[in-house]
Amino acid sequence: MLVLSYLLVTGITTGALYALVALGIVVVYKATEVVNLAHGELFMMGGFLAYTLHVMVKLPYVPSVLLAVAGSFAIGILTDRVAFRPLMKEGLVSVLLATIGISFILKGVARVLWGGKGDYLAFPPLVSPEPMRIGNVMIMSQQLVVLLAALAVMLVFAAFFKTTRAGKFMQATASNPKAAALVGIHVSRVYMYTFGVGAAVAGASAVLMAPLTLLYPDIGFPLFIKGFAAAVLGGLTSVPGAIIGGLLVGILEQLAAGFIGTAIQDVSAFIVIMFALIFLPTGILGMRGTRKI
Amino acid sequence: MRAVVSHRALLVVLFAVLAVLPVVANQYTLFVGNLLMLYMILALGLNLLVGFAGQLAFANAAMYGIGAYGAALLQVRLGLSYWLAAPCGAVLAMAIGTLLAFPALRLSGIYLALATLAFAQFTQWVLLHWNSVTFGAGGFPVPQPEFSALGMSPDRGIYYVSWVVTVVLLAFAWRVVRSRVGRAFVAMRDREMAAQALGVGLLRYKAMAFALSGFYAGTAGALYPAVLAYVSPEGFDLFQMVLHKAMIVVGGMGSIAGSVIGASLLVYLLEVLRQFKATQEIVFGALLLAFVLFQPRGLVDFLKRSVPGWSEPLHYASDSESAFDVAVADELVTGSRGGADR
Repeated sequence: MLVLSYLLVTGITTGALYALVALGIVVVYKATEVVNLAHGELFMMGGFLAYTLHVMVKLPYVPSVLLAVAGSFAIGILTDRVAFRPLMKEGLVSVLLATIGISFILKGVARVLWGGKGDYLAFPPLVSPEPMRIGNVMIMSQQLVVLLAALAVMLVFAAFFKTTRAGKFMQATASNPKAAALVGIHVSRVYMYTFGVGAAVAGASAVLMAPLTLLYPDIGFPLFIKGFAAAVLGGLTSVPGAIIGGLLVGILEQLAAGFIGTAIQDVSAFIVIMFALIFLPTGILGMRGTRKI
Repeated sequence: MRAVVSHRALLVVLFAVLAVLPVVANQYTLFVGNLLMLYMILALGLNLLVGFAGQLAFANAAMYGIGAYGAALLQVRLGLSYWLAAPCGAVLAMAIGTLLAFPALRLSGIYLALATLAFAQFTQWVLLHWNSVTFGAGGFPVPQPEFSALGMSPDRGIYYVSWVVTVVLLAFAWRVVRSRVGRAFVAMRDREMAAQALGVGLLRYKAMAFALSGFYAGTAGALYPAVLAYVSPEGFDLFQMVLHKAMIVVGGMGSIAGSVIGASLLVYLLEVLRQFKATQEIVFGALLLAFVLFQPRGLVDFLKRSVPGWSEPLHYASDSESAFDVAVADELVTGSRGGADR
């Protein structure tokens, strides 16, 4: 019982982080019908920015987090300017190849700046690493902090879409770009901010994840694949779907690791993606009949 | 206008140079020459799939790995001779490549790209974790085939084998592209629905494209253990995937000569930067990005415009032509001009 509850708590925590990665993918996909293949590397850059500011420059935690998120936002906007805006008309293949190019540039830059392959940087924990007991459940206080923070990010995200002008512009553009342009929304600017927001969420999740795992230049891709699995499971166009998908992937992965073997953890994403694409092509909350496959 | 350099002449000269290379070159140059031919095969196979058939799949490095591990493991684990193990490795990669065509029939665009990317990741995982078969992350040494009967060192012997295989596969790709199959690929790439309306069976030609590209990557893989005498998962990772993609984009998507040119340039760069992993990533990523942005049809397009006599069948049509074709096709398919706007 203790094992199961431990696995579930860990699964929910990592799942919440996958959900955040998936959220970034879904926001960008909804608006642009493109998946940014450099999304994992945006995540990685966010983590390293926070590390630089907090550990190397010794800024306090909160300002370094905010600056790291702002930095990710800027890299996201750069991605839009470099890879999406000029290539939008050329088609999907060009955009995907360009974002792959960007992902490798970012990875190489991170390797130059923050160490070679096999160098793992430890991010200091926010709270004491002592586990605590709530009723019958053992939980690391760090996990609790991460979970709450992830929840907060999701709420901020939802509030942004529901209440701000920019959020409403994004929703309008996602649902019908032509109509949005007709009512005076600057669509290509919205695309730019969408890339920025997606990257900012990635940066925020990287900051949250860093104390739980370690930071290294190759961290981006595996997380991207897991985030994509979560997004596909949720339907790729649905924000709540991305969150449910993320939690499911996280929990499934922990259960598989606990009861089958830890190695299985790394392929769970592949299995979920294949399963979702073959048996559940519209995802859990995706809109029926709208997916172009 | 008189032909100055045709793509055919360039290829003939290139392969003539490669043929005499063992006579003059030292061991290192010989090795790089051999590596170059493997990458030519990989680029040809990938270009058939992505550049001609228009299927954006990311499993090429995985097929390469499957070919290499297939050939190497059959030798080491089952004691088969290289000459038996190598074709088995190539055919294994082809079989798995063909299986990938089935999801490809249901998926397109982003879903196909991501599903094959996940498959490549899965293959890496199998190579890393299936210790009892694949020897895990460290890799394993593989004996090189013997050429003593011909009075040659193994390095030189396998070099000539690679040369023959590369020439045969190059000629074969050439034939494929100029045949009915090649035309079907291009039709499928340019407008799937119109191709189907004209009687191109999508399942058949997609499966064929995946099988061909799997076979090419698998053959390059099967040569790999004989050239390097060592196999490890690292040789088939994501970086390889970007490298192969960069080769066809730099050389020219949808061009046979382009695959060879792209492979040649990038193998040269790869060797220059061999010591610097991070620089390699930045340079190849930047090359891919720069070509997609500024020279999307690759170097062959530049050659086509600036070298008189350079012509190649089944390139992309010029921009105005293809835009017109697409408009006409849309009209035919949907009954209204511009109606198939996505």
